[in-house]
Amino acid sequence: MISRRSMLVGAAAIAGFSAKSARAMDVFRLGLTPVFLDNDAEVVDRLRGAFADTLGIPVELEQRRTYEEVTGLLLEGSVDAAWLCGYPYLQHRKSLELMAVPVWNGRPLYQSYLIAESDNTATTLADLRGGTHAFSDPDSNSGYLVTASDLARMQERPDSFFKRTIFTFGHRNVVRAVGDGLVQSGSVDGYVWEALTKTEPDLTKRTKVISKSEWLGFPPFCTRADRAGEPAIRAMRLALLDMGKTAQGKAALDLLQLDRMAAAQPSLYDGIAKRMRELENFL
Amino acid sequence: MRGLQPLPLSLRVPLLTVALMVLVGIIASQQVLTTLRNVQNERIRELAQLQIEALSVALGPLVLRKNVWEVYDTLDRATGETHVQRLVFTAVADENGNILAATDPKRAPLDSPIKALAQDAQNLETLAIPDQGTDIRLLSDLTYQDRKVGQILIELDVSDLLAERSKAARLLLIGNAVATGFLALLGYFGMRRMLRPITLLVSHMRNSGERPEPIPQSDLPRGDTEMTRLFHSYNSMVGSIEAKAEADKRLANRERFVSLGRLSASLAHEINNPLGGLLNAADTIKTYADRPEVVRESAELLTRGLGHLRDVARATLDQNRLDRSGAVLVAEDFDDLRLLIRPEVSRKSQDLDWKIEADQKDLSQLAAAPVRQIVLNLLLNATEASGQGGKVGLQVYTGDNSLCINVSDTGPGLSKAACARLLGNGPASSEGGVGLRLVHDMTRELQGFVRLNRIDGVTAISIELPLKPENEGDLC
Repeated sequence: MISRRSMLVGAAAIAGFSAKSARAMDVFRLGLTPVFLDNDAEVVDRLRGAFADTLGIPVELEQRRTYEEVTGLLLEGSVDAAWLCGYPYLQHRKSLELMAVPVWNGRPLYQSYLIAESDNTATTLADLRGGTHAFSDPDSNSGYLVTASDLARMQERPDSFFKRTIFTFGHRNVVRAVGDGLVQSGSVDGYVWEALTKTEPDLTKRTKVISKSEWLGFPPFCTRADRAGEPAIRAMRLALLDMGKTAQGKAALDLLQLDRMAAAQPSLYDGIAKRMRELENFL
Repeated sequence: MRGLQPLPLSLRVPLLTVALMVLVGIIASQQVLTTLRNVQNERIRELAQLQIEALSVALGPLVLRKNVWEVYDTLDRATGETHVQRLVFTAVADENGNILAATDPKRAPLDSPIKALAQDAQNLETLAIPDQGTDIRLLSDLTYQDRKVGQILIELDVSDLLAERSKAARLLLIGNAVATGFLALLGYFGMRRMLRPITLLVSHMRNSGERPEPIPQSDLPRGDTEMTRLFHSYNSMVGSIEAKAEADKRLANRERFVSLGRLSASLAHEINNPLGGLLNAADTIKTYADRPEVVRESAELLTRGLGHLRDVARATLDQNRLDRSGAVLVAEDFDDLRLLIRPEVSRKSQDLDWKIEADQKDLSQLAAAPVRQIVLNLLLNATEASGQGGKVGLQVYTGDNSLCINVSDTGPGLSKAACARLLGNGPASSEGGVGLRLVHDMTRELQGFVRLNRIDGVTAISIELPLKPENEGDLC
């Protein structure tokens, strides 16, 4: 499945690159994903302003519902860079290159949280057997891969372990689904859950964290590997790394509750890669 | 209505008017409330239909794909954006009736049957607000592209509509109560005013005792209304009654003389019979003046004859004199009556049964004149009714605190008119004499009463005249 998709987007990327290189870049397009707090218009405005100031050209933020869509946009060249999750980055590792990674609480790492309703008595994943579960996105590390690989370690598949699973295509939505009682448990980005405890404490207090994963690489900003040397891409990479130095950039980081952006090596995502292998081996 | 009957007309009619006004008020209120209920039902049906249609458009494709989160998210956002929380609960199920999402997932868990929530749900066509409760539930098909893809259950908060209905009912109740009360008061006083002549008429009739009094001209209603004519008719009727009473009185007085007249024939006969013997005795004395034994016998004969004549004369005189004397009744009064009636009895060869068993002590509680008049009238009627060879009886005895006088005869019995004169209190008919009415009136004056019996061909008229109780008499 992944290899087939890689082939498809690879073909699209070649076609897109050809078209792109033929004309000068007059606007930079950045793809955003549900890992982002997509309900916050102010964050989007701040990001757009911060990048535009630094790059000197307008920045368009392209938001899509799923990781697959945003990754597709990036690979086909419809966006110049995208804020992806470590899982899709690794799925297309050969075609993508890391530009920067957010630093949260001093480290470019985050965790996946397994959450349930606050009055749920479960204390481990095993206790959630036969219940209903919300995933964020099938291409999300924290919102799917971590729990799916944990189940694989238990020789279980999500569809058979849980009575019913749903995808909410947004980490905040996972918290809502669990907090409102639509499902009994969910897999959510730990960074998003923690950020929500500050911005929407009424939402997160209706949930509780059952377990946390190991620390894994934070969702990175990626570009296509074959376009990494383009001036605009390089300028964007610098803009990301210097984001904390401009007022607009600092404001955007503050809103996102991030420290700064940092350069990242692919090895940051070894933990995710390990889980991917475990899942692929089980399946 | 029956409960009002003890009330006077002047109260009954206004109260009836009040009751009718209250009834009209209740019916009018009921009509208004029914209309309000229908309007509200129409309104809620329209609103529910709009909700269902809007949700069908928004949720149709999502339900078709069984996209649980999108269905929930859509419902959640729709609930959050509604300013008026009419729609308090929504649940959406797939085509198999299993819940996909609900605004309150704890109440309608994922994959649970929607049927469990739809037990008292109504359908859109007959959706109506009940009189009690705050919510109504509606179950409808969720259609997308003209095919049923699922079901939708909505719960609407109708507490404000019920409160509106309740408020309208309260306002109507108060408004109608005030209006009806005001109109009822107006009606009451209006009817009282209209019925005032009737009240006046009733008052005159009531105050007049047994004899009605005419209404003075000053109290007559003005104009030529029905009431004026009624009052004039009443006054005319009063005049007629007075004239009739006067005539009855005159007739009663005349009856006494009639009684005496009826006696005069027998008295003449009674006097005439001994008169021949007396004249013969006088002739005998003249012829045989020298024969002392013949003269003595004749003188004896004269003495007995004259004595009889004296008795008859005395009894007749007593009958007329007693009215004015105020003498009490004694046993001799009945002897007088026997003396007076005997010639009539003898003339008709009747059998007279005469029993005076009352004590003098009891008799003396009554005046002689009315009792003698009553008994004489009854005896004369009895002798006349019994005819030739009949039987006439008089029995006087003391009952329970009363003097009982029983006059019987073997006549054909009293006619209907005669019964009415003897027993009835109404005006006497013009037919026949007034003797029996005189008996009736005089008995009533003595606080007594009359009974009439006819058994085995014997007519018995019983008069009971009350006596004072023995101890009361002693005290007096």
